[in-house]
Amino acid sequence: MAATASLKSSLLLPSPLSDFSGAAVSISAQKRRSSWQPRGARVQVSAAADSKNILVMGGTRFIGVFLSRILVKEGHQVTLFTRGKAPITQQLPGESDAEYAEFSSKVQHLKGDRQDFEFVKTSLAAKGYDVVYDINGREAVEVEPIIDALPNLEQYIYCSSAGVYLKSDILPHCEVDAVDPKSRHKGKLETENLLTSRGVNWTSIRPVYIYGPLNYNPVEEWFFHRLKAGRPIPIPGAGNQITQLGHVKDLARAFNLVLGNPKAGQQIFNISGAKYVTFDGLARACAKAGGFPEPELVHYNPKDFDFGKKKAFPFRDQHFFASVEKAISELGWTPEFDLVDGLTDSYNLDFGRGTFRKAADFTTDDMILDKKLATV
Amino acid sequence: MALCAAAASTATAFASSRLSASTARPRGPSSTSLPSFVGAFPRAVATRRSRRAAAPAAARRAGVTVRAEAKKKSVLIVNTNSGGHAVIGFYFAKELLAAGHAVTVLTVGDEGSDKMKKPPFSRFSELTSAGGKTVWGDPADVGAAMGGASFDVVLDNNGKDLDAVKPVADWAKSAGVGQFLFISSAGIYKPTEEPPHVEGDAVKESAGHVGVEKYIAEQFGSWASFRPQYMIGSGNNKDCEEWFFDRIVRNRPVPIPGNGMQLTNIAHVRDLSRMLSLAVEKPGAAAGKIFNCVSDRAVTLSGMAKLCAAAAGVAAVEVVLYDPAAAGVDAKKAFPFRNMHFYSEPRAAKEALGWRSSTNLPEDLKERYAEYAASGRGEKTMTFDLDDKILAAVGKAPASVAV
Repeated sequence: MAATASLKSSLLLPSPLSDFSGAAVSISAQKRRSSWQPRGARVQVSAAADSKNILVMGGTRFIGVFLSRILVKEGHQVTLFTRGKAPITQQLPGESDAEYAEFSSKVQHLKGDRQDFEFVKTSLAAKGYDVVYDINGREAVEVEPIIDALPNLEQYIYCSSAGVYLKSDILPHCEVDAVDPKSRHKGKLETENLLTSRGVNWTSIRPVYIYGPLNYNPVEEWFFHRLKAGRPIPIPGAGNQITQLGHVKDLARAFNLVLGNPKAGQQIFNISGAKYVTFDGLARACAKAGGFPEPELVHYNPKDFDFGKKKAFPFRDQHFFASVEKAISELGWTPEFDLVDGLTDSYNLDFGRGTFRKAADFTTDDMILDKKLATV
Repeated sequence: MALCAAAASTATAFASSRLSASTARPRGPSSTSLPSFVGAFPRAVATRRSRRAAAPAAARRAGVTVRAEAKKKSVLIVNTNSGGHAVIGFYFAKELLAAGHAVTVLTVGDEGSDKMKKPPFSRFSELTSAGGKTVWGDPADVGAAMGGASFDVVLDNNGKDLDAVKPVADWAKSAGVGQFLFISSAGIYKPTEEPPHVEGDAVKESAGHVGVEKYIAEQFGSWASFRPQYMIGSGNNKDCEEWFFDRIVRNRPVPIPGNGMQLTNIAHVRDLSRMLSLAVEKPGAAAGKIFNCVSDRAVTLSGMAKLCAAAAGVAAVEVVLYDPAAAGVDAKKAFPFRNMHFYSEPRAAKEALGWRSSTNLPEDLKERYAEYAASGRGEKTMTFDLDDKILAAVGKAPASVAV
């Protein structure tokens, strides 16, 4: 890595206008390019060879919080497009004042509602961006005005979801596998299809379950609440259903690695943890992460209950995991957090400090436990 | 490309595009993982890569860039005379012969034994007609069986512990064998709640195969161990898919222990022989490594029943889930697969050998069913005592699971 750093600093241009013989050379400590862009190649010369003008749709909630920090550190100009309801930046637990000051002074904000398509189109066209990271897009219609506004867009990097895969008895899900046009995530699929049809240079990232500090989806938090309360953990079925968690910081690194990466053009990548985990195993891993004693697991048949609108368990009741082999071999990415380490990171920086997004609600737990007691 | 036309939900994972996408991937034999700093020196990388792909040092010095020719080797396969692994040696021998290598198969025991009437042994003429040698003998004295012959490569596809393999390994070492390969087992992995089993994961130290792996690692510079799971393929010595077909063609329910969601690897044996062949072709890349010798997809136990039914052209299969203890049966006797997740991934082979999986269960099972149907086995009278005991214990009408 030292060699890379010195090479990078020797190539850093004193003036944004100078370049090398017409070739845009992008070298980054984080990027592991496998193809060399030769001199004289028909490559767009940007003003500052390495730095991109990047728009992040979202960026203030979870993935984007970590991604935008990486992008700013890489020297890119980063603008977050949000309605401004949440603070544009927040100091992360464990982040030094100096680091936070550096980041928050550099990141920019474009205030707007992405559902206001006219506004999106005009404001983006006025600014012009090299790259768009679409972290919070759900439907294809939301993406159209962005593409329309930016005809010279170099890359559209989209946060999709492994939820698009068609349920299968043959696993893991791989990027080439059949998708489910009726899934809850069909908007993501339609977006991927739109990007293809519009001839945009796009990359789609399909995470599985994301976890880590600031998670607003009660994934690890759901277990931590119960562990902290010393409650049994109710798990549907046999608990041998296999799922997969991916740390948000590993996901952010993957998002950064596809930027300007020729191997990522028109490609889909599953991004998640290197290993999978059973429901039972996840409960025990959360306990390890938080330093809790081994929990009591209570299995139940979900068909025996009517939970109404409440979710009794934070995961889909089926096997759900995807191979990340393509990202590892094509992008040179590796997930750095194993499950217990990643859950520990989340616990130490978030729940363990007394912060969480959703308050504990043990209503469904009590329904399950009461029934269990009654049948004993 | 991601969409597939197959009707069965379990079949949709394998569009032909899956295979073409795999083979179309640009990773060649030289693309082992590079240190991170090479990203900064891509020109050097390009040169290094083309050098790797080029011929050995002599040709380079001569200024000639020649596509690396696989040297023809002499290979000895010490093969078990029964069981699920027997077929591995058969496919491996065939693949090596087709590639022009000299192959000898030393099968344990006597040529005249009843065991030799079963496949793959009953098909050994396919080896001899391709130029292979088939001999019989005692692995405790390979030297006697082989006379003074030596080999470049030895594969022990027989022993499950050091008692059985040590004599083979010791003979190979004294005979100057360059590369020693061993068929181990993925069954040695310690159970985990974080599947899949990957190379490097903890193993059961008391397992016989573990002792062998340790010993050959000490004895040979160039060694590799292959850990398989379940296999399908023509010439198999042990039932796999046939267990399901036997029930499906007789319109019998398929009893599966537990909740049927247990994941397992069932690979076509050609994937295993391909991996072994690559290790012979690239001994340097294989040296000192453990390889999970499985396909790169797992299937659930219920899913396997459904796939077999689909392959047999049957619309629905009745899967009956049961608790072995409650039914009073030993699951090991009642069911041919482990009653737990038994799931490994072949990550080392992909990374180190550039190996790719070709197993396509929905398609491969069609071929398996065709052979099953042609064999007449489906018409034979069979008893299903354990099945009947299970069904009686479960008591209710079996559920019909749509294929």
